[in-house]
Amino acid sequence: MGFLWHQLREAVPLIWSGHDDIMRLGWVSIRLALVATAIASAIGIPLGCAIGIGRFRGRRVVHAIANASLAVPSVIVGVVVLILLLPRGVLGGLRIEFTLTGVYVAQTLLALPYTVALTAAAVNALPPGLLDQARALGAGRGQLSRLALREARIGVLAAVIAALGTALSEVGAVVIVGGNIQNHDQTLASAVLQQTTDYTDYPNALALAIVLLVLTGLLMAALTVLGQRNDALRLRLRTR
Amino acid sequence: MTLLWAELRTAISLIAHGDPYLMQVIGFTLQVAAISTAVASAIGIPLGLVIGLGRFRGREALRILANASMGLPPVVVGLVLFLLFVPAGPLGSLHLNATRTGVIVAQSVLALPYTVALTVAAVRALPRGLPDQARLLGAGRAQLAALALREARVGVMAGVIAALATALSEVAAIVIVGGNVYGYDQTLASAALFASNAAMYAEALAVGIVLLALILLLVGGLSLLGQFGGGIRLRLGPAA
Repeated sequence: MGFLWHQLREAVPLIWSGHDDIMRLGWVSIRLALVATAIASAIGIPLGCAIGIGRFRGRRVVHAIANASLAVPSVIVGVVVLILLLPRGVLGGLRIEFTLTGVYVAQTLLALPYTVALTAAAVNALPPGLLDQARALGAGRGQLSRLALREARIGVLAAVIAALGTALSEVGAVVIVGGNIQNHDQTLASAVLQQTTDYTDYPNALALAIVLLVLTGLLMAALTVLGQRNDALRLRLRTR
Repeated sequence: MTLLWAELRTAISLIAHGDPYLMQVIGFTLQVAAISTAVASAIGIPLGLVIGLGRFRGREALRILANASMGLPPVVVGLVLFLLFVPAGPLGSLHLNATRTGVIVAQSVLALPYTVALTVAAVRALPRGLPDQARLLGAGRAQLAALALREARVGVMAGVIAALATALSEVAAIVIVGGNVYGYDQTLASAALFASNAAMYAEALAVGIVLLALILLLVGGLSLLGQFGGGIRLRLGPAA
């Protein structure tokens, strides 16, 4: 255990000393997670709500597609986005391949399935009578979706947290679209990958990993608390 | 559309002609997925049954721990395993870094939280009276576990499928521990990463297409299960 202990003892001071790189990468990761999740929520929550509430033809197909897109490997999203962004690609005119902006685009696309599919699932899980009753009482579409979102808020919040979590810990798309260029477009997770595989700088990689672990740990704690509240809610509904 | 189209045509001909490198990667990916899922199930399902059925102190804490470990960033898992396997590390004598066995071990560790946590969730979702009634009727521990496993089989299968899905789409831990050695210990996902970093976009797309096909098969399996389970909502975890 001496070796691991030694690496860890060298890593911890790196965090406390407010090492420039670690702070900067931490901020990049947090900003990336927040921006990508915000855009994905702005698009995905209304979409998920429409899929969950709507009574149009093919909504089950759309819902199935949204669910399936949750499982698309991030490396595939990365390869496709990169090929679109390359100079000879369709969106090559933007010149954002191998930049942080490109990473933002890829990460937003990765977060979108979470907000769409999990919002739709949360709305679908509402008591069946609720929305029908509201419709019968004359609620319009706007009122109906507001009601659905309010009632399904815990599920929707869980979707947002899941999207934040993938943005923090994901590497596949970030490394492919960004190229994992040091001091340019790295995140905490992709920097851990590079520090370990390219530079074998273990204390630095461990320090970055600890910061990443703290951030994801906070999110998991939030999800756990939400899950418990959700249990309580369901119980109350059942006994009533 | 020219670049994407040209690369796509090359990619499809690579698949159609059974490119030997591609075949080797597919073979190893299936091997990793099968072995790591088998190991994770053999350890995780009994563990999940114990946590789900047991009446010991601290089982709630264990359940939360299992759930939270599904959110562990794979780069962190990869780094810790890598440091354990480094020659100077505690398990250095096993010489697992940059080997196929190392990749399989890393993937088994990553898959374990899914089989444990989803088995626990499936057992806990059983009608509350069921295990109690069996206990009253004098069922022993083994009988109780067998009963719970049979009744919760759909949820347990979902855990196994989620473990398979991470084995297919995960890259970070595999790349760190395995070193992403061309033609040796690459899975489809890590090969896509390698190929696009090497600007071999046609190869990256070919690998991506095969990967997507495998994932879709799994998703199809999962949605069939969902229908068997009377609309139990199951989802794949974040695949980073």
